Amino acid sequence: MTRTIKVDHLSRVEGHGRIVVEIEGNTLKRADFNIFEGPRFFEALCVGRPYQDVSMMVSRICAICSVGHKLTSVLALENALGVKVSPQTELLRDLLFQGMSIESHVLHTYFLALPDFLGAGSAIELAPRFPTEVKLALNMKKLGNTIQELVGGRAIHPINCVVGGFGRIPTREELLGVRATLEELLPGAVKTVELFGGLAYPAQTQEPSTTYVALEPEGPEFSFFGRRIATSKGKVVPVESYKEIADERVVPHSSAKHSLPGGEPYFTGALARINLFGDRLTPRAKSAMDAAGVRFPSTNTLHNNLCQAIENLYSFERALEVIDLLLRDGVHAEEPVEVKVRAGRGVAATEVPRGTLYHEYVLDDAGVVTYANVITPTAQNQANVEKDFRSYIERSPGAPDDSIASNLEMIARAYDPCISCAAHLVEVKRT
Amino acid sequence: MAKPRVGIFGLTSCAGDQLVVVNLEDELLDIVGAIDLRSFIMAASHPVEDEFDVALVEGSVVTGEDEERVKDIRAKSKLLGAIGTCAVWGGIPGALNHVGRNTLYQAVYGTEEDLFKAREARPLRDVVKVDFSLSGCPVEKHQLVQALLSLLHGDLPSFPTVPVCQDCRFKENVCLLKTKGQLCLGPVTAGGCLARCPSHNIGCEGCHGPLDEVNFAAEAALLEEKGLPRERIARVVRNFAHQADLARIM
Repeated sequence: MTRTIKVDHLSRVEGHGRIVVEIEGNTLKRADFNIFEGPRFFEALCVGRPYQDVSMMVSRICAICSVGHKLTSVLALENALGVKVSPQTELLRDLLFQGMSIESHVLHTYFLALPDFLGAGSAIELAPRFPTEVKLALNMKKLGNTIQELVGGRAIHPINCVVGGFGRIPTREELLGVRATLEELLPGAVKTVELFGGLAYPAQTQEPSTTYVALEPEGPEFSFFGRRIATSKGKVVPVESYKEIADERVVPHSSAKHSLPGGEPYFTGALARINLFGDRLTPRAKSAMDAAGVRFPSTNTLHNNLCQAIENLYSFERALEVIDLLLRDGVHAEEPVEVKVRAGRGVAATEVPRGTLYHEYVLDDAGVVTYANVITPTAQNQANVEKDFRSYIERSPGAPDDSIASNLEMIARAYDPCISCAAHLVEVKRT
Repeated sequence: MAKPRVGIFGLTSCAGDQLVVVNLEDELLDIVGAIDLRSFIMAASHPVEDEFDVALVEGSVVTGEDEERVKDIRAKSKLLGAIGTCAVWGGIPGALNHVGRNTLYQAVYGTEEDLFKAREARPLRDVVKVDFSLSGCPVEKHQLVQALLSLLHGDLPSFPTVPVCQDCRFKENVCLLKTKGQLCLGPVTAGGCLARCPSHNIGCEGCHGPLDEVNFAAEAALLEEKGLPRERIARVVRNFAHQADLARIM
């Protein structure tokens, strides 16, 4: 007899996903995480266009990480064109990324994941029961958006960040305004780590054999930027060789391609970053992590929620540091660096809220794109989500269907899957 | 009076317009208190999808599932609003509508096989009756709130159709097109964004879609004077609105 368990439209995630499980007798036949977002052929859109058009198009792959796509494409294009930006531009880009991280992590932890742990269907249902927490979450989320709006020019699909720098530089007064709100809400970010450290994480989602992958920070401090990819198995490769890690293939049940380096699933995201580089966090984030009651490295996928709360606190501290550096040096008006168009290949990777994001572009001598490739965290994680599904079902074969379904939903949600991102559809040969 | 039953839906999209709803941090709790939000799958579990007074739909119609979904929503809804440039114009996914799907599959997947039954990215109005439209990539918060308020008062949302240039005047921006010869679609693009891009010294990318009765030829002539070829202008105009009437440019 075959049991089929389906979650037709996974809720509280970005985009359209479906879970299908088939168990025949005592044997698990399939545990698929389907992506049924329609394909939008973004790489094909880039080819044949001048480099100036790329970032505004690829930003539209996904709203929640639009800052990530925008800046990563800009960094890859700058590598292709040999553009070096000013220290002020680097600091502002760092600040922009902290804004994205705060907005995205608060959205996921409080609004998408937390209802599972408190037996609610949404954060709206939680509002009457936990008014202080919901209000705090809304205020922190708004702060993340305010930073993106100020530095990026728009909270979703930022416009201000271009090859060579920024169209408009924020003023000292604007930065001081953001600084005051960061200070005001910092205790709330500390409380958030306590809240997520205190949740009961079911242990049956343990997946001991997975590899964790993250960019290695260039300096001694935790960072969302880096030039080398590190794995928990000790492998380190330069981002230019990203295909050694993030190799993609088409699978029949999904319009996103799966990543399987050497055929093995891996985990990318906050849990991987904290597992690999948590000892380099800012002081408050580090002590909040140490006090959270979970020992890292952890192999429990659900701890990704806690890791996002820790990173949220890191982003508060880092944003304050960056603003202080900008104010110390004095923000000054500055036009984007002039670009000398040339042929070249450029790769860049960044750590976006859901994991490592790769962009690669090849330009001809007129600056027109001849090749484009984007590999998103959710596409990389998809195989690992299914591995977690199989592991969970094998540990709980007798569980009733609805319990299996809700546990699988919780596992999938813990990855904070961004299905629009994953279904952007990438260059690649079918194997 | 019973609270209006509302559903918020996404077809193939980046979910940016639904995210604008979630980003209404100051207004969100008041809004969900004033309506009966029955389905918003991105933010809440257990949707109830029987009847809606108002459906807000983001995204373009790309797959067979999208088409079935939007027809089903239409059948259950008294009013259906297209939210965001994808829903109103087809958006960026429509920018390759003139290229065959098999060619795109070959380029992206290495096979011409129709793996996901993808079609051209179509705006909602090509598939169902649309009662009101709010464009933008993403929609502007203040326009979305204004639309919701109109609906709560029993009115259909409507927005003045003025170009981005008018917003630029209000902001007292220097004209990037005239003074710097920068590619700017402001004169032919629907305003309402308070000239976001020009206010950051970036030319308008046309993300709200073309204005009604727009004079493409005059824009094209102006840009051509600045040394930008018509093919490039046509392509940029089509980024967000593949149905824009280019006959008048080319």
